[in-house]
Amino acid sequence: MNVLKVREDFPILKNGLNGKPIIYFDNACMTLRPRQVIEKMNEYYYNYPACAGRSHHKLSKMATEEFSKSRSIIRKFINAKSDKEIIFTKNTTEGINLVAKSFKFHKGDVIISTDKEHNSNLIPWQLVARQQGLRRERISTKEGFDLQHFEHVLKHAKSNSNRSFVSMVQTSNMDGTSIPLKEIVNIARKYDAVVMLDAAQGVPHKSVDVKKLDVDFLAFSGHKMLGPSGTGVLYGREELLNRLDPFITGGSTVDDTTYDGATFTQLPERYEAGLQDYAGFIGLGAAVEYLKKYIDDIHVHELKLNKIITEGLNTHVNILGPQDPKLRSGIFSFNAKNKMDHHEVALLLDSYANIMIRSGRHCVHSWFNDNKIDGSARASFYLYNTEEEAKIFVEKTKEILKMK
Amino acid sequence: MICIIALIVFGILGIFSVKYRIIAKEAFNCVFKKITLRKCDTGLDIRLKSQISGSFLKFSPRLGRIAYKYFEVFSWIFLILTLVTLYFMGLGLYNYAVYGNCNGPQGGFCIYDPLGTTKPVNTTTEGSICAIPGHSIGAVLTAPKNITITDGAYIGNPQAGVVIIEYGCYSCHYTKLAEPTVKRLIKKYGDNILYIYKDFPLRGTHETAEPATEAAHCALDQGRYWEYREYLFANQQRQFDEDLKGYAKDLGLNDTQFSECLNSGKYKSLVEQTYSEGIALGITVTPTFFINNQSLVGAKDYSEFKKIINKELGISWWEFWK
Ligand SMILES: Cc1ncc(COP(=O)(O)O)c(C=O)c1O
Repeated sequence: MNVLKVREDFPILKNGLNGKPIIYFDNACMTLRPRQVIEKMNEYYYNYPACAGRSHHKLSKMATEEFSKSRSIIRKFINAKSDKEIIFTKNTTEGINLVAKSFKFHKGDVIISTDKEHNSNLIPWQLVARQQGLRRERISTKEGFDLQHFEHVLKHAKSNSNRSFVSMVQTSNMDGTSIPLKEIVNIARKYDAVVMLDAAQGVPHKSVDVKKLDVDFLAFSGHKMLGPSGTGVLYGREELLNRLDPFITGGSTVDDTTYDGATFTQLPERYEAGLQDYAGFIGLGAAVEYLKKYIDDIHVHELKLNKIITEGLNTHVNILGPQDPKLRSGIFSFNAKNKMDHHEVALLLDSYANIMIRSGRHCVHSWFNDNKIDGSARASFYLYNTEEEAKIFVEKTKEILKMK
Repeated sequence: MICIIALIVFGILGIFSVKYRIIAKEAFNCVFKKITLRKCDTGLDIRLKSQISGSFLKFSPRLGRIAYKYFEVFSWIFLILTLVTLYFMGLGLYNYAVYGNCNGPQGGFCIYDPLGTTKPVNTTTEGSICAIPGHSIGAVLTAPKNITITDGAYIGNPQAGVVIIEYGCYSCHYTKLAEPTVKRLIKKYGDNILYIYKDFPLRGTHETAEPATEAAHCALDQGRYWEYREYLFANQQRQFDEDLKGYAKDLGLNDTQFSECLNSGKYKSLVEQTYSEGIALGITVTPTFFINNQSLVGAKDYSEFKKIINKELGISWWEFWK
């Protein structure tokens, strides 16, 4: 992967902000977009700005074609069996909500998550559990993922003839750690549990093969992988998707209706109610086409940057998660040893050095509350970040910490 | 602390732009929280602190560190400065609305004009007058009843509802100081007023007061009064007969006629008569003005005239702005 060549494709990296270069380290929140994606979206608006899948005129046909092409691109990218398994959503959050609200649970079923879930994979389950009388179990990741406890929970549920639904964050946006997927899926299969992954930080950074991983549901966001804002994907195993209750209903979700009833249509349209963000999803296809070329190199590249930063700053800051950068993928979450406020660190990096990172609780409030930590500053990397940028980040952060 | 400053600054900017109104709102929230001893949760304080010290850091690490470390101290200082500035801004505006100048009745400090160029000349009348020896102001004045315009110079509309009479002395420094005001009034009010100048030569105080007064009449004879008057004030330090005649020549008046007029004492009795009338009204100092029935003694500020005239004319101050 030639990072400098990649950077050429990103207008904001080329032009900078008000003519000044930026260092963008907030990729866990949203990534930048290459010109190919922007142009693809424009192509829709310029050339075939019509509704896909409904009308029969030429523009509509063009839009339909591009829209379904995009779906196929994404299907291939995660190696799903069929395009029917690819459901377009607004974001990861919507994907998880779709499953949580539509899956046919029975009272007493067990929802199993980790202690580091993003609010998007926490709150939907809190609500559903309350409404439907489900049990929730939390697996600690403090000393590494507690596989033993996990198996125990599954076994216990099965012995009470309750079903288990595992919904877990693949890679934490808070500290960058990943769960041991293979082992988790193996155990889950043993006890007939359903497995869903919050792959918001997974799919963008590592090649994901849903067949090989053998997961049932997988949700991720387009805007975290070079795609347009407010685009996301829910992958679901076809037979499971077919058994979900309708979620948001209306136009496009039915074959026929009477005044008193409706016949719902087939996948994937059944879960894509109303007219869609065609430009967005067509743009997402372009993003995946782009990403595909580099996906096998991104993880290694991010580890390299993380290593530089970890080694440069580990005497100055406390790192959230393991010390070893290899275990934290592209995320460096930290608090200053001298107790400088994490918001201050982030804001100073921005105003002083044009370095953009995030600070706060990163939507994982529950973990911060439980651990009595106020929040953290977080730098997160992506394919276009350079080692040079990592070094500047180290240097500037040190300068800022010296102010206190 | 910084939030209070932000509230003030962005509150004012917010009048003009929604963008700042949002920050002002945040600042308000912050200040409110702080007053009720809670944490400012919009993070505005931290944002401002980082923004500001970050900018200093760009200049030098030391400056940045100082700005960061002593931010609270600087905030206090700036808050106090802001409050003081605001106080004076308000005071200036208030003075302007009420007294027509930003310095107020006591001629105090004006923030819009720290060098004091608009400050009225000592408006405490004492000292801004010339007086008959042994007198000072304080005499009871009666406004003249029968207004005559046959005894000297006047300008404006004889039918005007507002009559300004000035009792002045061409040799008096303060009559001279009142000149710009007089000119401004004439220019501003034009036909809405009638301005009459009455002789009140302070002969016991200024040696040349009488001849100068008569000379002015001689210039009026030739229809060149206003130019001559200006020349007289401009050359107040020298007003002996020879000088007076010289000035007439300078201005291109008929100098034989002028000399004759002055030498013959043609206007001696008229001046005397006007002077006596003035004495009868209780005048002891120059300049003394009457605006209809109201008197104004000394070289007062333009605004004081304006206030009285507007009132007499029935113009409210905001109408006058138009
Ligand atoms: C791990 C994880 N899950 C879920 C989300 C939610 O993603 P979105 O806001 O795109 O729905 C994020 C994004 O912050 C995330 O990092």
